[in-house]
Amino acid sequence: MTISAEIQAKAAEWLTSGDVACVVGYERGTHGRTRPAFIYQGEDVARLIFDKTCTHNLTTYLPQLFNDGSLMKATHKLAPDASIAIITKPCDIRAINVLIGENQVSRERLKVIGVVCEGILDGAGKRAFVECEPIYTYQRRCRSCSERVPLVYDFLIGESVSPELVQEEENLRGIQDLTTSERAKYWLAQFDRCIRCYACRQVCPLCNCPACLYERDDSLWVGMGFGVDEKRTFHLGRAFHLAGRCVGCDECERVCPMGLPISLLNRRLAQEIETMFGYRPGIKPAFSPLTSILQQEQGIP
Amino acid sequence: MVEPMIVAFLCTWCSYTGADIAGISRLKYPANLRAIRVPCSGRVSPELIMRTFDQGADGVLVLGCHIGECHYDTGNHRTAKRIPVLQTLLSFVGLERERLRLDWVSASEGERFARIVNEFTEVVRELGPCHWRRFDQTRSMAVDNTLAFGAKR
Amino acid sequence: MTMITRSALFRWLDEMAEELPLIAPSYVEGILLYRQVSKSSEVAMARERPVLSPKEVFFPSTEVLFTINKNGDKLRLNETLPVKEQVVFGVKACDARGLSSLDAMFIDTAPADPYYAAQRKLTTVIGMKCKEMGETCFCTELGLSPDDPSGVDISLAEFEEGFDVQVMTQKGLDLLNRYLQDGADFYIDRSPLSGCTDATQPTRVVLPEAKTFPLLFEDAMWDEVAERCLSCRICAYACPTCRCFDIRDEELPASAGERRFERIRCWDSCTRNAYRRTAGGHDPRAGKGERLRNRIYCKYYYFPRRYGQLSCTGCGRCIDLCPVNIDITEILRRIVEVRQFP
Repeated sequence: MTISAEIQAKAAEWLTSGDVACVVGYERGTHGRTRPAFIYQGEDVARLIFDKTCTHNLTTYLPQLFNDGSLMKATHKLAPDASIAIITKPCDIRAINVLIGENQVSRERLKVIGVVCEGILDGAGKRAFVECEPIYTYQRRCRSCSERVPLVYDFLIGESVSPELVQEEENLRGIQDLTTSERAKYWLAQFDRCIRCYACRQVCPLCNCPACLYERDDSLWVGMGFGVDEKRTFHLGRAFHLAGRCVGCDECERVCPMGLPISLLNRRLAQEIETMFGYRPGIKPAFSPLTSILQQEQGIP
Repeated sequence: MVEPMIVAFLCTWCSYTGADIAGISRLKYPANLRAIRVPCSGRVSPELIMRTFDQGADGVLVLGCHIGECHYDTGNHRTAKRIPVLQTLLSFVGLERERLRLDWVSASEGERFARIVNEFTEVVRELGPCHWRRFDQTRSMAVDNTLAFGAKR
Repeated sequence: MTMITRSALFRWLDEMAEELPLIAPSYVEGILLYRQVSKSSEVAMARERPVLSPKEVFFPSTEVLFTINKNGDKLRLNETLPVKEQVVFGVKACDARGLSSLDAMFIDTAPADPYYAAQRKLTTVIGMKCKEMGETCFCTELGLSPDDPSGVDISLAEFEEGFDVQVMTQKGLDLLNRYLQDGADFYIDRSPLSGCTDATQPTRVVLPEAKTFPLLFEDAMWDEVAERCLSCRICAYACPTCRCFDIRDEELPASAGERRFERIRCWDSCTRNAYRRTAGGHDPRAGKGERLRNRIYCKYYYFPRRYGQLSCTGCGRCIDLCPVNIDITEILRRIVEVRQFP
């Protein structure tokens, strides 16, 4: 059975038996692009697919679905005890762990279909892929990913894989080698293109504050305008709020219409958190070390 | 030569009182300092610090109680972890980490306060003016706003 | 129609760039955008449309409406209307149609918006006809054509030896006469378009009849199609016709003992959370379905009823950029389907 067929079978089984009220997965949309899908009936499961174009981190929809649709009105209003099934890749599962740790998602009401992941292709979600075309490249996050089997699942699909890994660049695209003023110049040029569309924030599973600090009506922390300094504050603030929480799915960078290298900020902080606290987010449900008190063994800076 | 502007966040219970003691003891520290009192150093958030740099500060000093002496028990634990992470982030995007300093000053340490402020002001003076300041950068994306409108701030 | 050679065009662009702001498609770190250029070599003669439309030249993402000086109780307001002449180059037919759609609201309907109107008056628009349509383009489905010269002051069409020049307005003629006096014979030529040059099949679109929209207002389809929507603002910001904005007063650094403020307006989007939240907390579009419905209705129902033309030019940017493939043409097809089989 192909992966898609296995997923469809499991989804059909759970939906018809009433084990779950909704399956969150992927389908093929228009112009050959893959997109998220919400399946509520057994007869619709044929829409579900899984392949190397399934780039979206579907866990971003979980806080909404679990919050009685207060942020989103679901078509089929889910009963308070209804279960949700979700198709996840290993990186997505890490986000679920963080969400569980922060009480945004209830593990008991979640049925996780974990898929062993060979990698996701560059351009997924933004274009169609043709079978007979030459070899496509994998996304950067996939080329250095060492976690191909999900950490958590209720049902596992796929055979274990060990692809050839590319060493993660220590110097983060050369930025670590630049002088301070060169870095300032580089980043100002990047932030200049930003249009504060907030797609990066909206697509992120861990950005789920009901009201964003950087979007306040009273411009308390940052103005409303599209000045470079304002956009810089938003991106840095967001990266900081994700420190110890971001699981590196890089969807933020993929959805950016202006090609901002947003993942560099998150990766830099992930490096720092790992160095300072020996902590990697999403391995198990927990809070970011920045929110807890100093442990006995930690030195005082 | 423009004098650097130093903004210090001082916690009510320790460092602010320490600053007071420095004043009472007639200890000299540079007039560049603008003190802002907060209930606890844990209140000092990244957006507060970034806003401070945006508004024109050349250096930001965060002074809290020593670890174990926080009036709120563990407020300064968070500060101890957060400020170094923020320094790393700011340094990554081109703001020298020396412009942001975290230190601990207790209510009786007037001399320590004066020494830290003196040291920090000198470091920031060496670094020169901070270019994080708002309005140094243009706003509109297609056209320079000042060209299009002819209006200067 | 007259023609100019490639080198003459670049010389002309160079001369203009030296004297006034010249805004043209230009690659910025690999992203094609409208940007102010300082020389012709920075202009990208690209087949594709820039990621954002040229609306930001006339309706900037952030615009100062006026500044306020406050001294005690005394207030002084300072006007900040646009004053500088400028030229926009390389505008495609869909984007020109977008400008005419914005004109219908900002200028043709009283009271006119002085900022937008001033910017339109001060700007000469040089269009570039498309030779082919993109994968997501559907301008032809909305009564447009890739080589439609209307809506611009001068319309250029590229061919091997150079560019055909079609002058559409007096403003265009004045600009040409100012810069190109070397024997070229320019005159206003508003002749109809020559017909679509491309054979690519665009996405099929059937526009629903006006009466369909009120009937579908309460339909369950809206929550369903919007379920994957992220409520970001990409579609509205990239769109050549979307024009929602927010206004706020923000403080500037004080000077000479006076406090200073500026009243700014910035782009906003009806698709974002809390866009329609009113004082008191009531939000008639709290759900994504309601917001997506509003976006569609605004473009194909409310705006045409009010201003006589669609608020969509078929440029396809929203389809290209939506991170979750919310496809406006798919939704239109769905509307028509739902009405056929209620």
